[in-house]
Amino acid sequence: MKYNIKSCIPIFFVFIISACNNETKKLPILGQREPIEKIVNGKTVVDTIYQTIPNFSFMNQDSIIINNDSLSKSIYVADFFFTSCPSICPIMSKNMLSIYNKFKGNEEVKFLSHTIDPKHDTIPVLKKYATKLGVSSKQWHFLLGDKDTVYQLAKTGYMSFTAEDNKAPGGITHSGYFLLIDKEKRIRGAYDGTDETQVKQLMEDMDVLLNEYKTKN
Amino acid sequence: MRNYIVYSFFILCSVAAFMSACVNAESVKYQRYYADGSQVYKVHCQNCHMADGKGLAQLIPPLNDSTFLRTNRAKLACYIVYGLNDSIKINGIDYQFAMPAEKHLAPIDLAKVLTYITNSFGNKQGIFDVKEVDQNLNNCQ
Repeated sequence: MKYNIKSCIPIFFVFIISACNNETKKLPILGQREPIEKIVNGKTVVDTIYQTIPNFSFMNQDSIIINNDSLSKSIYVADFFFTSCPSICPIMSKNMLSIYNKFKGNEEVKFLSHTIDPKHDTIPVLKKYATKLGVSSKQWHFLLGDKDTVYQLAKTGYMSFTAEDNKAPGGITHSGYFLLIDKEKRIRGAYDGTDETQVKQLMEDMDVLLNEYKTKN
Repeated sequence: MRNYIVYSFFILCSVAAFMSACVNAESVKYQRYYADGSQVYKVHCQNCHMADGKGLAQLIPPLNDSTFLRTNRAKLACYIVYGLNDSIKINGIDYQFAMPAEKHLAPIDLAKVLTYITNSFGNKQGIFDVKEVDQNLNNCQ
């Protein structure tokens, strides 16, 4: 009997720790925020408006239009890349692929890779890239859009950095961030897509974020 | 008779010492090429071909096809310097995306990085001498 009680102790601990985690862990909301006053039931309350990803409409590798509405039921990870990029993109694609493999088949999770070289990365090129990478267009969209629009979206929407630079390998310099976006289009995390530990963190955070929606419903 | 034995022993010893020095010089050169080559690899190749040489899915080929490396040994330096636009077949899979050129690499760095590649990731093909690289570069198509 004694033996039984002792063996239970670690299990109790696991329970306690996991219980704590579930209740307390929530991801921060990143980006600009602005307080607004509104009247609810005759009382003035202060509410916060968070930065959201502006509406966009781009074509994916199957020539299907992807916009904010088509992503309303899922959280997603976004990044910026180009297919002929010799610097950080392959390692980013590799890391994104490992995230994709973890969440494969989960319809609540999507992936968006915006090309920042629309001149070269036409729909057929993106299609070939996706096929060779071995990913399904239902979950991972490679998006083609007008260059200025994409650069602007990167800068103001995702707070990510892209610019043309003839000195950089491939002609474009950009940051290698993976951005985690929730169903309300708010930025919930930014991770260095070339760093394996941060990518692991992202995978954990995605579970946390998915859990937020589960507990809400 | 005794002198004869002593002399022959001495000669044998010196020949052995001489030969082992030769072998050591060769292997020291190989070690140096290999170590330097791993640094060149990190800077110029690893972004795409990855630290484990496995490449990326069917986009970027792995560097572990020993047969390909052996049969195309004379072209390897050219591939690095001028890049690749044609598709190549590695381990039975066609890879079609272009490989960028690395024109700025000196022959000695090419020799080192090729020594590293052809002796890593399961390959074991010995040293890639700078003379061999020079010769190969003259025959690039």
